[in-house]
Amino acid sequence: MIEVKNLTFSYGKDKQVLHGFNFTVGDGEIFGFLGPNGSGKSTTQKILTGILKGHGGYVSLFGRDISIAHTQDFFEKIGVLFEFPYLYANLSAIDNLKYFSSFYPANQLRDIGEILEKLEFKMDFIKKPVSSYSKGMRQRVSMARVLISSPKLLFLDEPTSGLDPSGAVLFRKIIEEERKKGTTVFLTTHNMLDADLLCDRVAFLSKGTIAALDTPKRLKEQNSNHRIRIDYLYQGRREEKTLEILELERGIPFQHDEIISIHSEEPTLEDMFIQYTGRGLS
Amino acid sequence: MWKNFCSLFKKDCQMMLAGKFFLVTFGSLIIYTLFIHFGYINFMHAELYNVYLFDPLGTQQERSEQIYPITSLEEFYAVLSTDANSVGIDISSGIPDIVFYFGSEKVDHHRADYAWYLLHQDNTYPAQIVGTNTPEQKQRKEMSCELLFIEIVAVGFLGVASVLFKEKQMGVIRVHAVLPFKKGVFIISKIMVFLLSDLIFAALITILNIGLEDAVSILPDVLVHTTILSLIMALMGIGCTVLLKDFRQFSLVYLVIAIFAAAPVFLSANTSVKMEWIDYHPFYHIYIGLKHAYFGMPVTNPIYYVGSACGIAILFLIVQTVFRKEMGKEG
Repeated sequence: MIEVKNLTFSYGKDKQVLHGFNFTVGDGEIFGFLGPNGSGKSTTQKILTGILKGHGGYVSLFGRDISIAHTQDFFEKIGVLFEFPYLYANLSAIDNLKYFSSFYPANQLRDIGEILEKLEFKMDFIKKPVSSYSKGMRQRVSMARVLISSPKLLFLDEPTSGLDPSGAVLFRKIIEEERKKGTTVFLTTHNMLDADLLCDRVAFLSKGTIAALDTPKRLKEQNSNHRIRIDYLYQGRREEKTLEILELERGIPFQHDEIISIHSEEPTLEDMFIQYTGRGLS
Repeated sequence: MWKNFCSLFKKDCQMMLAGKFFLVTFGSLIIYTLFIHFGYINFMHAELYNVYLFDPLGTQQERSEQIYPITSLEEFYAVLSTDANSVGIDISSGIPDIVFYFGSEKVDHHRADYAWYLLHQDNTYPAQIVGTNTPEQKQRKEMSCELLFIEIVAVGFLGVASVLFKEKQMGVIRVHAVLPFKKGVFIISKIMVFLLSDLIFAALITILNIGLEDAVSILPDVLVHTTILSLIMALMGIGCTVLLKDFRQFSLVYLVIAIFAAAPVFLSANTSVKMEWIDYHPFYHIYIGLKHAYFGMPVTNPIYYVGSACGIAILFLIVQTVFRKEMGKEG
């Protein structure tokens, strides 16, 4: 779906922001692009969506060189969710969606009501102006704008930003459903939980380079210390022990009355990010 | 493309209505009309110049009865200093000399021509009839033209900004970057909305102030010049709005445009202030074209139309470039 070879980009003569990215994204894959501000996430997304011109290297989408890919037909096949919910504040949700969907062929449009319902949009707000919505409601309308044209390739920038935990869970479920339909998702985020739960593969960006690229599971496993921590009760006292995983093969090797909890000491995706890039995400 | 244009145009009309700037335009129309009907034509009624003749040798026998003969040079200078707008003809040396108490270059030519015409009733200095307007109708046309020019250059330009800054602040311009349509249509739709609004305004101010009967004959030409001016101002407004950060910065640019673009045009066209470079000022030619249109004298020089079309095309390309840059900005 997406093929990027030695991608470079500079803002002006001296400000090179991308230093030779290489990656591919397969059909139906959810690919996470993780990096702190200024690492080149947005620039890459803008190049892929045809907003920014003048890059170096080779980029192809839908099997076509990017320099000829950004036709009307291309924009009919993609959906882009921006970090902020850009909508006409004076128009209602339904008017916004009718307006934005009017640019797409009728045969690829989904039903507005059905999509809003799926996104758990409060239907009594449907005809009220967007200016009266909360950020979460706006984000839902923005997501509806993106999904309404049944895109084959989704670019999502911080999709769960501004949502409460249940909203974030709902969005992750919807993204997963889209993937099951065969939609490819290019996810740009700071949110390690989203990346960990959703992405088939993630790329860690740092200072315009890709510091690591693999599945979240493999990234964590490769850097795991293979230990577990056990909290237990013995003779009325609470104790804690850390063991090598191999030690568990023969059962719990110490005396105890009750096991309270077992924690893996596997690193989180954020730990891995810091390890590879030398800095946090925020 | 037509379907996309219709969607954009409908939404732009909604934005204009939501911006309530059309109320300012409608208010302007009412104020201008009241001013012309009850103010300008009453207070600015100008009498014809009186012409006084000092001809001690009696050389001019076939003069107009509208010339007042004066018998002495002292009386001649005294009457000119009292009736300061008048014209004096001194033929004491045998050769007519035009005498003014005060004046300026452009107006003096006009007054002198009038005096020569009255002096030479034998048709050696004939007056050319350039129109059949009554003085009141002439004033109505002049003021309608000036107010239409102000409305488009100053008030309408602010209207463009008020609508576009809203869209810019909402961030929706960036969404259009990834929608499947030719991006130039976005700009065309906007300028069409402003053009339509200016054309309606031009038609209404003309009909309301000079009457339907007179308006019908001059409106086509008035609308042509309105279109040229409106397209230029709309494109400048869109370009400035996209380039500038906020309305505060825009208001500075607005001042520059109002002071350095519109003021010299008015000064050159309506007062005796002389500016050598005004011929290079594009708005001056549009203003004169508009004024000629109001007096039924269409501009026939093709350079005017070709130059306007080229200027609009160049502005469109510039606006398209800055618009694409805006789309590429950080979300």
